[in-house]
Amino acid sequence: MNALVPQIPLLLGLAIPAIVVSGWLGDAEESLRATEPGPKKVAVAAMAEEGYCTPELKQIVRRVAGACGLLDAQGRGCQPADAAKIVQLDAGDFNRLFLPLKARVHIIQFDTRSAELDEAAQRAVNAAWSDRGGASFFFVVARASPDGSKAFNQKLSNSRAQSVLDFLEGQFKDPDIKKRVGLLWLGEEFAQLTADFCGWTRSRAGTECDETQINRSAFIAWIDCNI
Amino acid sequence: MVELDDVPIGPPPTDGPHPSRSRRGGWLVAAALAALVGAFFAGLSTHDFITHLDGQIHAVHCSVMPGDDAIVGQSGCKDAMLSPWSSFFRRSIWGGLPVSVAALAVFAFLAALSIAILLRRNRTRHDTFFLFAGAMLPAVASIIWAVIAATQLGDFCQVCVGMYASSGLLLVLAVVAHVRAEPAGGTPRPWGRWGLWFGEGTAAVAALVVLYLALVPSERKSLAGCGRLVMTEDKKGVLLQMPGEGITPALSVIDPLCPSCRAFDQRLASSGLDAQLNTRILLFPLDSRCNWMVKQSLHPGACALSEAMLCAPEQAKAILDWAFADQERLLTLGAHDPAAIEREVAERFPAVSGCVGTSKAKDRVTSSLRFAVANALPVVTPQLYVDDVRLCDEDTDLGLEYTLNHMLNQRAEAGAMP
Repeated sequence: MNALVPQIPLLLGLAIPAIVVSGWLGDAEESLRATEPGPKKVAVAAMAEEGYCTPELKQIVRRVAGACGLLDAQGRGCQPADAAKIVQLDAGDFNRLFLPLKARVHIIQFDTRSAELDEAAQRAVNAAWSDRGGASFFFVVARASPDGSKAFNQKLSNSRAQSVLDFLEGQFKDPDIKKRVGLLWLGEEFAQLTADFCGWTRSRAGTECDETQINRSAFIAWIDCNI
Repeated sequence: MVELDDVPIGPPPTDGPHPSRSRRGGWLVAAALAALVGAFFAGLSTHDFITHLDGQIHAVHCSVMPGDDAIVGQSGCKDAMLSPWSSFFRRSIWGGLPVSVAALAVFAFLAALSIAILLRRNRTRHDTFFLFAGAMLPAVASIIWAVIAATQLGDFCQVCVGMYASSGLLLVLAVVAHVRAEPAGGTPRPWGRWGLWFGEGTAAVAALVVLYLALVPSERKSLAGCGRLVMTEDKKGVLLQMPGEGITPALSVIDPLCPSCRAFDQRLASSGLDAQLNTRILLFPLDSRCNWMVKQSLHPGACALSEAMLCAPEQAKAILDWAFADQERLLTLGAHDPAAIEREVAERFPAVSGCVGTSKAKDRVTSSLRFAVANALPVVTPQLYVDDVRLCDEDTDLGLEYTLNHMLNQRAEAGAMP
């Protein structure tokens, strides 16, 4: 019997680690069975959706996008025949929708009767475009001051919107640009900007600005809404 | 187990314990305690390792002070545990066979052996010699692992240091116990007893290893992967090709300033399995300056580095290696002045000068992020897709070698089928 006494610690030295380790392994097995593989409560990559994306704003963007052939990915170009009909809002409400986008918007200013982007305008378009983030649509809303005929101003605002698009296409050579950019030209007839917009980021910052000058413009911004 | 030695273990020839022998037994008690401390640390390390076998995030004990709280997150202890030197056979067992299991068995055996020798009434230096020889094993192993920690990990796991210290102390105490033990006189060497102890020690280690292998969880749902890429076409050319001759297509989603990405990259390189992958990188900087999906910049400056990599794709690997190597400093720099990272990367890599910070560079980062959106990827880094199948997060650390090896074998088998 005494011969076995020194064996007792050796047996314990074998048994205790074995019991403890098998208990831990059993717990791990149980925990593994109870766990479903895959990410736990992890966000999924998605386009941006900011707080200003009201249903009304999304509706307008969607209508413009639809009219421009963006939603069906045909990229057939933008031909908004009648801005007021597309947006289905009165002019004041239309402009108010864009107020929360102030930090995103660049107002590109043009010379009288001109649709040409000067250097400052080109820099502003570049800056606005490169600040895309997770936005889905690049919105260009061109206007004309009330000088001249309505028909001329409709055509002029169309050219201003188009020159922004042309510049982007020339600059970035991205085949998807047409699918991302929505153009809306309002002429002088709808949603003229008030002089308050002179305080927004504009390509001719520091120059004189009044209600006439601020409407010789294209209002450009990425819209952070998941349309 | 039967004592083979024929040395009598009966009562001593004189009444009461031999006074000098009793005093000398104190060194054996101390040796047993040192071995028990070693077993405690080995057990702690084994417990941490086994807890992580479920693939979830758990705390890791990271202090030599018993009773200190375990900590969650990155630490030297976690790095050591996740390193390939913490276990063997990682490609065939999920996580591998932890070294600490063997250490636990050895320390427990040596503690038991010290007590067993203590219980021998007529112990001599023949007995303590075996303890001394046995104590050499953890001491030598500790030296080897300490060198690995210093040269390969660049960090010491405190629980491991506890084991190293216990091993050293045990060896010293075993030597002292041996020197202070009763001389063996002219008695022949007890080869039979030594053989028995050696057999018992080997059996103790083998039994614990076999038990571990028998009970380690083997059914893993995650082996099937966690989702797959749905839009793999890289229309914008934003996926960066990494050098290598592997053939299995892989996509690695990383942020150049993400510490987990760096650790993952190191683990992948250590596994050797990266050589079988034809890896492309999708940049996903967790920096709100360019990534609208994160509200706070977790890694400020990651946008600038991503721009640099996309500006000069042929230097992307070099830029990434530099960012990983200098990550702590760049993270600190980015937190104070993200523009400084732009300047530094342009100075170090002239090819990106004049490109970083431009609208074109920003547009390419946005396109990279939109690739993630098109595939509805989780907002997390790192991610690895092998043949478009996503390696589950729970398989990117301890189980990386096993799971990746499994995926590569499956692909090879599928390719070999007629």
